[in-house]
Amino acid sequence: MSALAPVCLGVAFGWVLHKAGMGRYDVIVNVFRFKDLTVLKFLLSALLTGMLGLQLLGALQLAPHVPVAPTLLLGNLLGGLVFGVGMATAGFCPGTVAAGAGEGRLDYLVPGSLGLYTGAVAFGLLYPSVFPWLAKHGNLGEVTLPALMQVDGWLVVLMFWELGLMLFYLIERGPLRPPSDDASHTHAASASLRGSAR
Amino acid sequence: MTPVQALRAERWSPYAAGAGLGVIATLSMALFGKRLSGAGAYQHLSGCVGRALAPHSLYWKYVMPTGMTWELWLLGGTFLGALASALASGQFRWRLMPDRQWEQAFGPSVTKRWLVVLVGTALIELSAGIAGGCTASLAVSGGAALAPGAFLFMAGMFGGGIPTARFLYRKPRNAGAGAPS
Repeated sequence: MSALAPVCLGVAFGWVLHKAGMGRYDVIVNVFRFKDLTVLKFLLSALLTGMLGLQLLGALQLAPHVPVAPTLLLGNLLGGLVFGVGMATAGFCPGTVAAGAGEGRLDYLVPGSLGLYTGAVAFGLLYPSVFPWLAKHGNLGEVTLPALMQVDGWLVVLMFWELGLMLFYLIERGPLRPPSDDASHTHAASASLRGSAR
Repeated sequence: MTPVQALRAERWSPYAAGAGLGVIATLSMALFGKRLSGAGAYQHLSGCVGRALAPHSLYWKYVMPTGMTWELWLLGGTFLGALASALASGQFRWRLMPDRQWEQAFGPSVTKRWLVVLVGTALIELSAGIAGGCTASLAVSGGAALAPGAFLFMAGMFGGGIPTARFLYRKPRNAGAGAPS
């Protein structure tokens, strides 16, 4: 298998993770404290861009085999809850461990990688006893929201864009703006980026 | 801001960086049929130790392939990309501890930080297995493909993260009594 494509995609992925500040423990933790909403803005922008991109390429028939993450209601929710506990405690998720390590953070590179590996082995050992149970509860398979609701994909994308843009407005101009903004320099940077790029 | 200034900037607007991530996820899924991932690479390596611990496990025999998979190359690239970005902005520096906030809250002990990281990451990777993905492969890639599980996962993530952060960073009862531990 050619390694070129995944390495290039990975380099771009690591680059934007670092530029968004995702290699920093405090940026990740503070989204859960409502002190710095960088993670939320980053995540939602990626989602909105991604769903529009896939919808567009799908309409042009340029995306024939888009992989859809399987929906297991119980697993997604339970896993998400524990994932959030770990994220708020240690201050990263699997991808940002690599991003933080790239910045020279040894707590990411050494115990971070080791811990992720341990967790992966633990999941493998638990899999035979856990998965059949998870697969029994709310296993919807590789389904999408438009298929589930029997509506056009564009309608769902439009709905997410409206909700997302409204949220961005409330965060930047309205009542959801964090009171003590730790990342004031980010706002200055975003203002200058906005000024020249748009 | 010129392109060179943007490359050397310490931070980008989260909106700009997020849009970039959305484009990367779109390309990965549309062109190569692959979701972005972070947790996946470790799962694809888990067989090295896992097979020794459980030689007859069906998981490592049939479910999880072991080897230099797409996800491992992607993870290697992620590290290199972050390294390149950190070098370009002059932020690369070997560090044992987070730069800010950790010490005020939990004290200067490196051992403590490393132990918390070890336990936290193990928990994260285990739960990514249970959830069927991580922030990259489930929340971003799944969400972009409009998979309902992605939004459930994100709800869970904030539902677990917010009370945890509230607890860990609660105000000390008597002022000046130091940080919670």
